[in-house]
Amino acid sequence: MRAAPAPAAPPPGTPPPGHPSAAAPIQAGRGPADQVPAGPSSPGPSPAAHPSAVLSARYAQSFDIAVIIVVAGWHIAGAGSELLPYRALYRPFPAQFALWLVIALAITAGAVRLIRGLSHPAWAYALAAVALAVTIAGAAGCPPDQLLKTDWAWGTTGWVGVLVLLRRPLRELVGFLLLDALATFAVLAHDGLHRADVAGFITILAETTAIQLVVAVAARQLGATAREAAEVTQNEAATRERAVIAERLRAARQARWLALQETAGPLLRELAAGSANPADPEVRRACAVEAARLRRLMAESDDAPGPLVHELHACADVAERRGVAVDIETVGALPSVPADVRRVITDTAIAILTTAVSQVRVTLTALPEGIAVSLVADSPAPPPRPATALGVVVEHDRDYRNLWVEARWTR
Amino acid sequence: MDQVVTAGIVEDHPVVIEGITSWISADPEHRIQVVLVAHDLMALEPVTGPVADVLILDLELNGQLVTDQLPRLVAAGNRVVAFSAHSGPGLVRDVLDGGAYAYVAKDEGRDYLVEAVLAAAADRPCVTRSQAKAFLGDDGPERPSLSTQERQALLLWFQGMSKASVGRRMSITENTVRQYIDRARMKYAALGRPALSKDALLARAIEDGIITPREVATYTSAARRPA
Repeated sequence: MRAAPAPAAPPPGTPPPGHPSAAAPIQAGRGPADQVPAGPSSPGPSPAAHPSAVLSARYAQSFDIAVIIVVAGWHIAGAGSELLPYRALYRPFPAQFALWLVIALAITAGAVRLIRGLSHPAWAYALAAVALAVTIAGAAGCPPDQLLKTDWAWGTTGWVGVLVLLRRPLRELVGFLLLDALATFAVLAHDGLHRADVAGFITILAETTAIQLVVAVAARQLGATAREAAEVTQNEAATRERAVIAERLRAARQARWLALQETAGPLLRELAAGSANPADPEVRRACAVEAARLRRLMAESDDAPGPLVHELHACADVAERRGVAVDIETVGALPSVPADVRRVITDTAIAILTTAVSQVRVTLTALPEGIAVSLVADSPAPPPRPATALGVVVEHDRDYRNLWVEARWTR
Repeated sequence: MDQVVTAGIVEDHPVVIEGITSWISADPEHRIQVVLVAHDLMALEPVTGPVADVLILDLELNGQLVTDQLPRLVAAGNRVVAFSAHSGPGLVRDVLDGGAYAYVAKDEGRDYLVEAVLAAAADRPCVTRSQAKAFLGDDGPERPSLSTQERQALLLWFQGMSKASVGRRMSITENTVRQYIDRARMKYAALGRPALSKDALLARAIEDGIITPREVATYTSAARRPA
């Protein structure tokens, strides 16, 4: 199993990027609604590569390494300790040593493939075939009357099978171990069988092959358990991340809602108590501003393409309900505008839209360096003061009839 | 202008015809006289010459766009002012490239249709806000390269400012604003497919001193401009 690289994920609880330190945005009238969080502009760390999942994957890999150590250890200590004391008996010894080296190479190749997670069966079969050939050649090079005593190859090639077939179904390993035993038995029979040989063969088969099978089964079991644990951990991590993101979204929405409460709440209370007169143009204007902000709040949580146009439409809705004709035009491919910048722009728009007498023209123009959002309205309201916040420059002009306001954002 | 300009209207909706004639008759100087009203282009056949000084053409007649008929009408000597409910920048550019003098979107009709007809009769441009939008939004490889001032004047004009206000913001006279905007229009007239109307527009612009003959020869698209 390959382990994904550990991500540089922020710990849960870190505020989302783009959290406003919002430098005094343009006020649309009454105010503090501008200081609410800019909403989630970051989905947070990806749940797919959570550190704990990576840890579980490493845990699973450690079983692979344990198998490699067993196999390599057997080849060096077990097979080596048989090969060297009997070196005078082999026909000839250098050939046996060469075969030992071949197996050492096969184990190295198998180990590298296992660690790298390469699982093409052709390689596994090729290495198994090499091991079988070594079994036959090794047994054939032993003195016939002392084969079972001096043969080092059978045991170690069985371990090679355990290693290279670790990712294959267990029946393939069983088949390989049977072939390996049969090959040794064939050489034994070719040299002439004695009753003692058969008994010795069965003893070795019971000891060596049984241990090899037990290790193979155990490694599979432990590997499967570790992978399961990794999956469970990963799912848990994903669930936690989703909960964190949902909580951030909720908190941002709550903060915006609370900020609206500060301005909309008192207004509603005054209206209910009768201290604010709906006939008063100033009260009506304040109501329109709060209505536009509420609509923007709702539009912000919509997942619409072109969120700025979408939010401006929501703001325009309130003006249209007053019978003001609002015309929204866009030019070019509009850039994506961060949420807090959109808020500065829409606040500027709300100030104009809520005071326009009969018509407003809203234009959004894509510029090479950003976007220009302008409003031309027959609004008697005092123009917003020129300001710069979050890279948005607001300018205005007035002729005998119309107020022109432009918010220009540079990336 | 002393002489009355004659106008033909090709429009399939009676209520729109009513609207156009009311705007024309509301002109205090009565400079335009409607001499022909048709509901489709069949009524103009065979097109051998101009039906009036200016032809006001709805681009969509009985549910069909008639932009492909435009070059034929222009070639016969008609000065066409396109009048349409559509305002897609691509369509506007196509219609101007086809030889229309001006493009007036239906919601601009009250403000600009009379002005556009009078300008066309004099072979002069009338750049409406929808035309400005089409120029500003042009990112095609063959687009003319506009100067910073021309672009800024077009942008403010498109945004909805009066030309006087554009001038005040840019610290130039209203006349210079017109000149910048008209120069942008002339760059479009100088490019694209040849048409009688474009030649007439360019010739008049040279006479009026908006552009020089040398400039017409050196107008190139943005794509061919050396970096």
